[in-house]
Amino acid sequence: MNSINQLVLLLPSLPLASALLTHLMSGSMARRVSQISVAGGILSFLIAAILLGSVLSGHDVAQVAVGDAWGSLLFDPLSALMGLLISGISLLVRIYSVRYMAEEAGYGRFFVLLDLMTAALLIMVAAGDLITLLISWHLIGVLLYFLLGHDTRSKTAYRYGFWTFITYRFGDLPLVLAAAVLFHTFDSWSLPEIFSALAASPDTKTFFDLPVSEVVGALIALSAFARSAQFLLHTWLPYTMDGPTPVSALMHAGIVNAGGFLINRFAPVFAYTDDVLHWVFIVGMFTAVIGSVLMLSQHDIKKSLGYSTMGQMGFMIMECGVGAFSLAIFHLIAHGLFKGTLFLSAGGIIGEARHEDGVPKDDLYTFIVERRPARARQPWLLMAAITLAIPVAVLLLSHLLVAPNLFQKQGAIILLFFGWVTGAQLLFATYNMRSENPWRLVTLIVISFTVVVVGYTLISHAFDVFLYPDPEFGTLLYQAAGIDYSWFVFLVVFASAAIVLGWLRAYYTERGQRSRWRSPSNWWRNFYALVWREFHILDIYTGLTHGVLAASARLNVWLRWG
Amino acid sequence: MTEPGLIAVGLFLPLFPLSIVFNAVLERIGHPLLRSALLLVWPQIGLLLLSSLDVQLPSWLVIWGLATALLYAFRLLAMREMGRWTGFLATSAWALLWLPAFAGVPVPQLWAFAGGFSVPLVFMTLLAHLLQQQYGAAYTGLYGGLALRLPRFSGVLVISTLAATATPLFPTFFGMLQALIVSQPMPAVGLTVTWLIWSWAGARLLQGLIVGPAEPSPEHDLSLATTWGYALGLSLLVVAGIILTGSQL
Repeated sequence: MNSINQLVLLLPSLPLASALLTHLMSGSMARRVSQISVAGGILSFLIAAILLGSVLSGHDVAQVAVGDAWGSLLFDPLSALMGLLISGISLLVRIYSVRYMAEEAGYGRFFVLLDLMTAALLIMVAAGDLITLLISWHLIGVLLYFLLGHDTRSKTAYRYGFWTFITYRFGDLPLVLAAAVLFHTFDSWSLPEIFSALAASPDTKTFFDLPVSEVVGALIALSAFARSAQFLLHTWLPYTMDGPTPVSALMHAGIVNAGGFLINRFAPVFAYTDDVLHWVFIVGMFTAVIGSVLMLSQHDIKKSLGYSTMGQMGFMIMECGVGAFSLAIFHLIAHGLFKGTLFLSAGGIIGEARHEDGVPKDDLYTFIVERRPARARQPWLLMAAITLAIPVAVLLLSHLLVAPNLFQKQGAIILLFFGWVTGAQLLFATYNMRSENPWRLVTLIVISFTVVVVGYTLISHAFDVFLYPDPEFGTLLYQAAGIDYSWFVFLVVFASAAIVLGWLRAYYTERGQRSRWRSPSNWWRNFYALVWREFHILDIYTGLTHGVLAASARLNVWLRWG
Repeated sequence: MTEPGLIAVGLFLPLFPLSIVFNAVLERIGHPLLRSALLLVWPQIGLLLLSSLDVQLPSWLVIWGLATALLYAFRLLAMREMGRWTGFLATSAWALLWLPAFAGVPVPQLWAFAGGFSVPLVFMTLLAHLLQQQYGAAYTGLYGGLALRLPRFSGVLVISTLAATATPLFPTFFGMLQALIVSQPMPAVGLTVTWLIWSWAGARLLQGLIVGPAEPSPEHDLSLATTWGYALGLSLLVVAGIILTGSQL
């Protein structure tokens, strides 16, 4: 076994050893026991960095097996990248927890669970066979349940932790079924062997003469939906804030991203699907929209943050649905770092804000907080042209720089479309802003937008080259995500019209020209109430749960003799 | 001769309503060691009888077994008395043995499957007895807060419940996977639903016992030696899961 293989095995073994040591030493070392966990975290991070460096320097992909049929770990770009992300975030969370959890009961137990969770996550991203993947996938749900319920006095924490647990368990089942289908079809648990066999004969059929790629793809997608809080499987996410803040950070920055990872891991299956990615796109888009709408309507900042993550997860899944698999990985890393920072710095920011809110009284402040629009407006037509044209130009130029065949990929066009909407929205907002020098403001915004887009494009291109170096495979993914051209054009035109109409309505409402529009009707108010009550999904689930438990109790009464 | 023979097997690899016999017997036995012995021996008798029959099992037995497993898993959700809880879970799990048995899985593997469920349930039976001695009843939602009152006991209870509800890396997990891969699609879906309900019931059991405010009272907790004994037993179970049942996949 060469040194890289040893490091691959050592990476998840270190947090396991750290968990065991922390448990054994927690009695004698008291609060200093966290030093073991942090030291293990530092070592894990260094090993993960070495492994990623090895991949970048061109080291061959490898599979390190411990057992015969299962128990293998992969050393490939995806596992190396995710390994570094997980070990990095986990290390930060552990360092943060050293002081944050110091006053809490069960200090040692918390670090044991954190270490076990890190090990499970590292094994999950490196799993080279289906059994290892299933084991780690299942254990993550169990460990998260106990981490969220770290405060055993809090029934609320456990109640919401249970929602997470049961949703995760629900998400385990499709993955288990997918594993069974794959094993039944290819007689192997090894992921590389299964992917090779599928690539050799993509039309392989399984039960009921169904294409194995479609069946497995659908099951994997369902599993990813549950793990990444997609619509109807999302209720656990906004309500799990009763757990310790470091756990929230780990969950929002790392664990919830597992759906995007799973779809990427099974990319060789999705490349041969016909319809599954379309459903992935629809579910992702719906979740992104609903998550964002719910985020805006909530008064509770924590719930709002939860729904923000839901919206981001929807976008990540949507990226997979358009065939931009590597972009989803970039997205989950960026979101993980951003959201992790947000959670871990929340306490400090609240503390500082009690003394000084720190909000500069600049143009943005007067526009957003004081709602004072510009007194003098720029020419409407000129601003509209700038608003619509500049984002398109920036996006097209930057993307054509890295992918000349851009227009052959529908998925890329959809992402450009979303980029255009975002850019136009940004410029549109500046139209009303109060500024002494509006052109300077617009120029600065355009420059910022260009930097963001060019940076995003270059980085996502680098991710594409790193994760999926074979351009033919990338094309296969985009083809699997593609739809009939006429339908595609219709949908883009429809979405554009809806967005432009929305902008117009927002514009006229803001200007107070309500005579053209009806004042908020009962329908509108009811809709707002519906959104505010989170579409009553939680109430429905609660009612169903009570119904099931009541039926179970009734059955026990009827069958009381055994 | 086959049909009466299968009925007899259905008593020990419980099929509803024959399953009532096992649960009634278990309920009437008060001594924890006798209850443990019953949990260990009952399914093995069924497997012995099954191996002695040497017949091709009819497919309706798979449906019957699965329906029984689902029924008892469903009943498990509202069961708050820990003794009966273990009986229901045992019934639900052993009824699933009909799936691999129908698919022709060798009897030694079925023994491991049945035993894998029996051992954690024996641990839970012993723990329930301790609760009965201490509080007069092993009942969820009655006192709660055991994580603070009896931390060692709670730790062992949590791990035992996880082992009983087919959590990796225990033999039960690999047993469920084994049953799954030899099943046809519809029974496989039923099996996974049963598995999901066990997890739900397990979480409800734990929440009803270990969660809640309480003052620490370590004097009533498990002794260190007993805790290490349980830990050793559960560790051996994990090792057995990986080496024995895990290697069968």
